Amino acid sequence: MGYAQHIVEATQEIFSSMIMLDAAPGKPYQRECELLVNSISGIIGLAGSTKGLLAIHLPAQTALTVTTAFLGMDVEEIDEDVRDAVGELANMLGGSLKSVLDPSGSDIQLSLPSVIHGEGYSVDCLANAETVTVPFSVGSHNFMVELQMRQEK
Amino acid sequence: MGKTVLIVDDSNTMRKIVSRALRQAGIDFDTILEAGDGQEALAVLGANKVDVVLSDINMPNMTGLEFLKAKSEDDAIKDIPVVMISTETGADIIDEAKSYGAKGAIKKPFTPELINETLGALL
Repeated sequence: MGYAQHIVEATQEIFSSMIMLDAAPGKPYQRECELLVNSISGIIGLAGSTKGLLAIHLPAQTALTVTTAFLGMDVEEIDEDVRDAVGELANMLGGSLKSVLDPSGSDIQLSLPSVIHGEGYSVDCLANAETVTVPFSVGSHNFMVELQMRQEK
Repeated sequence: MGKTVLIVDDSNTMRKIVSRALRQAGIDFDTILEAGDGQEALAVLGANKVDVVLSDINMPNMTGLEFLKAKSEDDAIKDIPVVMISTETGADIIDEAKSYGAKGAIKKPFTPELINETLGALL
């Protein structure tokens, strides 16, 4: 099974079991690390036998919709609750991916989640890394889950 | 007398989600206490009667495994059951947690049914 399919399955499991939303996947592609506009990103670093990152990038309006469903309360601006929720989404995605890449749990270390939010920012692409990005839609909203990874020798 | 649970997670969001899942699971705790890392959890256990602990593993300051080890060395609190609730459920990590006394592990994402199934045997 390819990494894109793992991302699809992990994302759909998280959204269906904990957020009660249906995340419909689109066609995987290679993101060009272009500027992310008015968005929020949750990022988990991978270290050890595999280096890289796993990130979820949500436009601000998507993040508000997802956090409202996640917490069961209305959220109207990108505040600490939204940042924390997006970080936790990244954390769960990282954990799911790690369980596939490293079943014993001792070869790959996950960082604590980092969260970036702004009008315009970019997430750099790791050199010589295998990358895949899967777009998703939740109702009329969209988001992306991105994996960049490189096996260490 | 009602039962008390301690939820240990550095994410405020996840503490809320776990609290909600406990209610949805139909597990009736009179008191839900929270801690943001292992150090806070040890302080809470030292000051309150707690029936069961649900603890994350990856946390700043003191991780869930460090918390378990410290707890296992304190006679006053070592017998309070702890269930790990984490994205980290690799066999090596769970074996280490169990060696420090963890009674089980719940993988995030989780459902209320899974929490009920795991905690039901401990309460």
